[in-house]
Amino acid sequence: MAVSVPIQELAGVPAPETVATRSAWQVLLHNPKFVLGLGFFLVLLAVCLIGGFLAGPIPLRSGSFPPKLGVGSPGMAIAGTTTLGQSVLAQLFQAIPNSMLVGLVAAIIGTTLGALLGLLSGYFGGRVDGILRVLIDVFLSVPSLLFAVLVAALLKSVTVPVLAIVIGLFAWAWPSRAVRAQVLSLKERPFVQIALLSGLSGWEIVWGELLPYLLPWLGANFVNAFIAAILAESGLSILGLGPQQQMTLGQMIYWALTYGALLQNMWWWWAVPVLMLIGLFLALYMVHVGLDELSNPRLRGDG
Amino acid sequence: MGAYWRHLVERLIIFAATVIISVTVVFFVPRMVPGNTLGALSAKLANVGVNFNSKALVDEYNSRFGLDKPLLEQYFAYVRQISQGDLGYSIASFPTTVGDLIKQALPWSLGLLIVTTIISWIFGSVIGGVVGWAGGRSRPLQALVPIALVLYTIPYYILAIILLFLLAFLWPIFPITGAYSAGSHIELTPQFAVDVLRHAALPALSIVLVSLGWWFLSMRSLIVTVKGEDYITWAEAKGLPAPRIFWAYAFRNALLPQVTGLALSLGQIVGGALVTETIFGYPGVGYLIFSSIKTLDYPVIQGAILLIVVSVASVNLIIDLLYPLIDPRIRFGTAGRS
Repeated sequence: MAVSVPIQELAGVPAPETVATRSAWQVLLHNPKFVLGLGFFLVLLAVCLIGGFLAGPIPLRSGSFPPKLGVGSPGMAIAGTTTLGQSVLAQLFQAIPNSMLVGLVAAIIGTTLGALLGLLSGYFGGRVDGILRVLIDVFLSVPSLLFAVLVAALLKSVTVPVLAIVIGLFAWAWPSRAVRAQVLSLKERPFVQIALLSGLSGWEIVWGELLPYLLPWLGANFVNAFIAAILAESGLSILGLGPQQQMTLGQMIYWALTYGALLQNMWWWWAVPVLMLIGLFLALYMVHVGLDELSNPRLRGDG
Repeated sequence: MGAYWRHLVERLIIFAATVIISVTVVFFVPRMVPGNTLGALSAKLANVGVNFNSKALVDEYNSRFGLDKPLLEQYFAYVRQISQGDLGYSIASFPTTVGDLIKQALPWSLGLLIVTTIISWIFGSVIGGVVGWAGGRSRPLQALVPIALVLYTIPYYILAIILLFLLAFLWPIFPITGAYSAGSHIELTPQFAVDVLRHAALPALSIVLVSLGWWFLSMRSLIVTVKGEDYITWAEAKGLPAPRIFWAYAFRNALLPQVTGLALSLGQIVGGALVTETIFGYPGVGYLIFSSIKTLDYPVIQGAILLIVVSVASVNLIIDLLYPLIDPRIRFGTAGRS
């Protein structure tokens, strides 16, 4: 069972060293993994948006093409067609941006909420910290996919944004625990003490002194949450709990499996979204590794 | 030992909070659906096309849950019922109880997942340790890293679909679905055992391959960290043989977080592998949850979720209580568990 926990967390690597924001981009742009991953991601998104715009809605309708065409058929049927004669390529143009949207929204919700609660809990401590720590531990020890399953099953028909929000609401516990731990160590450092002595308020310190330190880590966590959300989306969709009125990569696989793509040997129907999903994961993972190496220079070079 | 007692009390509070919050969520969330629960239940029964006397079932539910009573009263009744280990009746396969359904499914999930988790943990840790120790010196070993990365990145159910296609359709050496051939009796004969193993092969392979990647990567990164420690340099300076430094100094020290990881994953196996079991039609707890979703059998979904939460939380509790005893470096207090 692959749990998406950043590996270096387990190794007990200390809080990230400072990286000036100016040089951060330069470091990232010289990191081949980051550039390759982000490049692939953006190109894929652009191709889908432009392709989807040019193709229009017609290839998505059933009966637009002869059914069960294989790969290499002319025009929009180049990636094959479904049993209903829909273009797999046209579905892909819809599915990839939708899956990315789920990842984006869920990652924004999870990371922002997590960072906020972690900072609050770690810096101000006290009773709030006590309650938040219990809540964090509760959420971490509960398999979140299961509760997402319960919620999605009850909502009956979800849409892409609703699904993204449901997934995002279960994604804050891990970042808030990690942020909290880092804040606990950061606030003992001299620069925070100096900021306190020079009369900055708690929020000014959190916002101006602590957050910049945490940004590279939060970036890496954001990408991690992005991956986890796409994973959760496809899992829920394959279980039949996805946005059935819309196309996502998971939903494509669901329809393919439901209509017997495996039994009818229509491999392109399920293999195309599966390959795209793997490509997307690898690209995001490379972005994640790039950001990790930025926030944790010890990882650099050892490859 | 004062600090340990405080730690113990704190972990017990977290355990209790986990269970209470989960029971509350599992109780209230279905009732937040618009429309009354009873109406929703009978509408669902009609949807599902269950032909038996649904009026009797609705009445049964009415009396069981006291749905005419105020919500809070219902909640406490539910808590009382749960605490007696009674998870209620299944809707889809009434009058079977939720407990019985779970009891039938649990052995399949446990059997499949205990074996696969341990196999992949052992192989992943050892190979990851060796590769991490060799570092850049061995090019062929380093080639394993991107392979493990790909395996770790692929969602396990995606691998399941690919394996199903390759080894059950294209080259049909393994059965497509189920845990044993249809019509065979569950008995202790060699034929049945072979049948079960053949059916378990593909789900097992997909789980092993993916989690192998994870254990490999985490062990490798742990060993890389340990390699830089002073005690390794010290052991090298003493002139100890390299295998001994690796196994007795590096590997052993890196193993502790891996053991925690193993315990955590073992805590989760009660839930089965939700999507994998669904794809292979493997009759474990994951598949039970899936089929309950299909039939909107909320009591089963709720019961299974509660069972999983309690077992995961119990394992976490045990780890938290044992860990400081095993590793004295763990500190207590506010900064201790970070």
